[in-house]
Amino acid sequence: MSVAVEFHEIVKFFGPVRVLHGVSFALEPGHVYGLLGENGAGKSTLMKILAGYEALSGGELRINGRAVHFSGSRAAEAEGIVLIHQEFNLADDLTIAQNIFLGHEKRRGLLLDDDTMRNEAAVVLEQVGLKAHPDTPVRNLIVAEKQLVEIAKALARKARLLIMDEPTATLTPGETERLFKLIAQLNASGVTIVYISHKLDEVERITSEVIVMRDGRFVAREFTRNVTRHQMANLMVGRELSDLFPSKKTAAGESEQEPLLRVQKLTVPGWAHDVSFEVRSGEIFGFAGLVGAGRTELFEGLLGLREHHAERIELSGRAVRFRNPREAADQGLTYLSEDRKGKGLHVAFGLRENLTLMALKRYARPWLNPKGEQQALRTAVKTFGIRTGSLDIRASSLSGGNQQKLALAKVLHPDPRVVVLDEPTRGVDVGAKRDIYFLIQKIANEGRGVIVISSELIELIGLCDRVAVMRAGRLQATLDAEHLSEEALIAHATGTHQTGTH
Amino acid sequence: MQREPIKQELTEAPKQDTAWTVATRSLARLHGIGPVVGLVLLCVAGTLLNPDFATFDNAMNVLTRTAFIGIIAVGMCFVIISGGIDLSVGSMAALIAGCVILLMNRLGLAGLSPVAAVIFGMAFALMLGALFGLAHGLLITRGRIEPFIVTLGTLGIFRAYLTYFAEGGAITLDNVLSDVYSPVYYGSLIAIPIPVFVFAVVSVTGGLILNRTAYGRYVQAIGSNEQVARYAAVDVDRIKVITYMLLGTCVGVATLLYVPRLGSASPSTGLLWELEAIAAVIVGGTALKGGHGSITGTVIGAILLSVISNILNLTNIISVYLNAAVQGFVIIVVAFLQRKRK
Amino acid sequence: MITPPFIPQRKGTPKFTVSKSAVVAAAIGLLCATSAGRAEEKVNLGVSIPAATHSFTAGIVFWANEAKKDLEKAHPGLKVTVKTAGSAPEQANQLQDLLTVTKINTLVIFPFESASLTKPVAQLKNKGVYVTVVDRGLTDTSAQDAYVSGDNTAFGKVAAEYLAKALNGKGNIVVLRGIPTTLDNERMDAFNAVMKNYPDIKILDAKHGNWNRDDAFKVMQDYLTRFKNIDGVWAADDDMAVGVLKAIEQAKRDDIKIVFGGAGAKGAIKTLIDGSNPLIQANVSYSPKFMYDAIKLTAEARLKGEKLPDQVIIPSVLITKENAKEFYFPDSPF
Repeated sequence: MSVAVEFHEIVKFFGPVRVLHGVSFALEPGHVYGLLGENGAGKSTLMKILAGYEALSGGELRINGRAVHFSGSRAAEAEGIVLIHQEFNLADDLTIAQNIFLGHEKRRGLLLDDDTMRNEAAVVLEQVGLKAHPDTPVRNLIVAEKQLVEIAKALARKARLLIMDEPTATLTPGETERLFKLIAQLNASGVTIVYISHKLDEVERITSEVIVMRDGRFVAREFTRNVTRHQMANLMVGRELSDLFPSKKTAAGESEQEPLLRVQKLTVPGWAHDVSFEVRSGEIFGFAGLVGAGRTELFEGLLGLREHHAERIELSGRAVRFRNPREAADQGLTYLSEDRKGKGLHVAFGLRENLTLMALKRYARPWLNPKGEQQALRTAVKTFGIRTGSLDIRASSLSGGNQQKLALAKVLHPDPRVVVLDEPTRGVDVGAKRDIYFLIQKIANEGRGVIVISSELIELIGLCDRVAVMRAGRLQATLDAEHLSEEALIAHATGTHQTGTH
Repeated sequence: MQREPIKQELTEAPKQDTAWTVATRSLARLHGIGPVVGLVLLCVAGTLLNPDFATFDNAMNVLTRTAFIGIIAVGMCFVIISGGIDLSVGSMAALIAGCVILLMNRLGLAGLSPVAAVIFGMAFALMLGALFGLAHGLLITRGRIEPFIVTLGTLGIFRAYLTYFAEGGAITLDNVLSDVYSPVYYGSLIAIPIPVFVFAVVSVTGGLILNRTAYGRYVQAIGSNEQVARYAAVDVDRIKVITYMLLGTCVGVATLLYVPRLGSASPSTGLLWELEAIAAVIVGGTALKGGHGSITGTVIGAILLSVISNILNLTNIISVYLNAAVQGFVIIVVAFLQRKRK
Repeated sequence: MITPPFIPQRKGTPKFTVSKSAVVAAAIGLLCATSAGRAEEKVNLGVSIPAATHSFTAGIVFWANEAKKDLEKAHPGLKVTVKTAGSAPEQANQLQDLLTVTKINTLVIFPFESASLTKPVAQLKNKGVYVTVVDRGLTDTSAQDAYVSGDNTAFGKVAAEYLAKALNGKGNIVVLRGIPTTLDNERMDAFNAVMKNYPDIKILDAKHGNWNRDDAFKVMQDYLTRFKNIDGVWAADDDMAVGVLKAIEQAKRDDIKIVFGGAGAKGAIKTLIDGSNPLIQANVSYSPKFMYDAIKLTAEARLKGEKLPDQVIIPSVLITKENAKEFYFPDSPF
């Protein structure tokens, strides 16, 4: 059974705000579609309507020519339509098998049939290439593995139309390759795929047709072979996209400077071993590695969020040791987490409260000075290019890119000497990405040391002066601008690099 | 230029959907003032049922007896906003009351002047409250035990110790001391009873601390998302400990006012105060899961709860067996008025 | 002061005292007999009572332990085990332990609740344990051998008659009730029954003060707001009377002529003896000392191999300044 989808004049309101303005297009069975658009273009909302998570406010959704109204995701699943969320929809405390069959449990009489579920789970896990026992609690999986469980879950539900929202955002190149093979395999067996991604190279590689949305409207559809990446980006943003990255400064003379941050033999038990590096003033220092290589944990250790020990840590020439992020911030080191909603921003708070949280003492004497805070927000909105209609909204009302800019403004508000940015452009659209790259360059130009942890190699290569590569908790190599290439980074990150080089 | 269409949407949408928007807006407005609406309605009902309700003396009676719960609720508001809970406050109040009376009596017997004995006792009450709060805070942060469990434990411990000190009976303040101390409850300043004054001062200070200090902001940040706060260089453990100490001190203040009322403490002192204080906070619009809340709401919530029983005492319309049910209904209705849209 | 309606109770007390001394005398006789060769026939007596959570139950615990002390000293053949429980289920478990571990053959129980403890008590009785129930009768009376209780009817009646007399059969009365229970209802009904005979006495309202000082304070405060003319207060409990007096004092009201508490708590009796508060003129006994009496009666009857009467009511009697000293036990917490 195949699923042909037709959107007809779909309209959607969130409160008084119209997010979809009569979107019409059709999806033929058996294709791999790339759905493109900036954050806020309405592509996720449209797909949630298709998968039964949101009700439409107007227009008609037709499946195989028949108008439908899904009462929920189960109704959509009954038609073979499954959406894999960008933020996973897994219950951390349940096992893989329990998650795969959540809401669709197999029964034997009144009791659950755990054996059958375990066996069937093992089959779909095999299909997606996840080597984990079905009884493993999902909590124990790393992000990339959770992604695979999500796909396995969709397979177990016999999906005929699979919507993937940013599926590779957290995957390593190897895992991405495996996913692409899986997509090709699924497509060959007749499953329609809707692939939402900001990564245009991926879209170019695996889709047969691209559909572009902008500001809640359908903009264009074209066979992938007929458009270039550049044209795709232009269609999404609606204007000519100038170079994504700022031009790099010449690195001359920097090595003679005293480093701002010097880390010697930092060990975070279980995650990182004897990692040493130096960051100089004005430098953008990258950290590359596969998911699970221990980069995030290394810096969480440095900040005192994890147990750690080090031979010596120097900040601006002084020996330091941080027991918690408070001490780090006091000494001039701040950190932006990769997990924006979980660790980066108070999404339920206003913009002002988020911005000033790390430097609140500045506004307290002893009563807080809301006017001063408001002024600071106005300045930050201008400096960081945060696009918002009103200053008095919650952070959750901002789009992903603007939330990230706010988070950036927040970690810079205490005026740190060194700032660590963990995946600074995760889940951010092309336009905002470019803004953030230029902001990072500007921060470095102010004489700060900037550390960028990223899984996007293009980003590290385009942005960083030097890049350290970690593998399995150890620092494998530090590459300077001249030696930066995707091949070199992947080789060091995966351990396929022959010894002797760098 | 890119974002202009969104602005258009904002202006065009209400035109299309006026009725819906108006309905949501009035609901949203109602949400913030649910407790106020409830209180006003209750007061109108009270006046209609018995004109004596709307007298100054009755108002002062209600406010004075609200003072204990109200002051504790202000402290509880901080704890709940920070994402915690304290079930022990009633028992804590009873134990502090008992200890204070024992100390005052002892000091009185030791030949200290009654005034000095009372002042020492009052200082002791505040100290003891802060100390109990410190113990809670340390057990919760350093000991990493859920606040619910820690304070459930101390709920029993505090009350048991009071019962032990009182040998099951009542601990009674010596008459001479009682005379010296009683103006703290029964006295008034420009016709306003002292407990009402203290209640007002505690509430205003609480509001200022919550909304206008870095500490208050940190409390909200921790309750809203503890991880984000930790990553944002907030000293989460220290703030939490201070919050429990603040509540303990509030309990101490409430006890200071309570002791002179009857001059005694017994195992039934402060029974179920914790639930009344928590109810006042939640009725006042603070989320039980923490993150945000309002001192004004809490104060109104506390007054609302005592107005209910006041009205029931002033009238005869409902069977005495149903008093508790009326309070339950009102709590649910007010919570309904201030619930959030999904 | 003593009016005709009180005479039966006044008579009751001496009768009771006499019977007690008779029992004691008989027990002494029995003691001689046991030492003469029947020492194996021991009485192993278990006492199951609520834990001391308020002053009345604290009194129960105190008097139970007093009884243990006195009786074990007087009768070597007697062993008394006192257990307190915090709730009805706990008390039920305790009964099991008393039977299987302590191996009691006699039980004196002050049940938490009548209904939920009837079955557990019946089980013990079926195993041959002699059961005396105190204060709250079981729902199935066949589960008990004897029933010793305070006199709740007299508790309300004595108060009503004293108040009516003190007010010369005319005036406004407000009433504070306890925690809603059958016990509270019995007292209230008895009070109302007497007041029916005094048409000029108006009961303005009766609300629950839950035998609690703080609640009584609030209820009385609101009565004072609501009623501009109150002549008498039946506080129905000495704890509640404390709250009531404070509320009157605060409101500076001088229309109230009398506050009648009840139960004869230590503090209230002291006030009566000292005459320190003109509003407190009398009290009615409902002393936890009946626990002492119940244990003593049971133990002594069992030592003699006798049975108790099916029902023994420890009368509630009027306490005035004149006889107050008889009811003053400075060592008891109540």
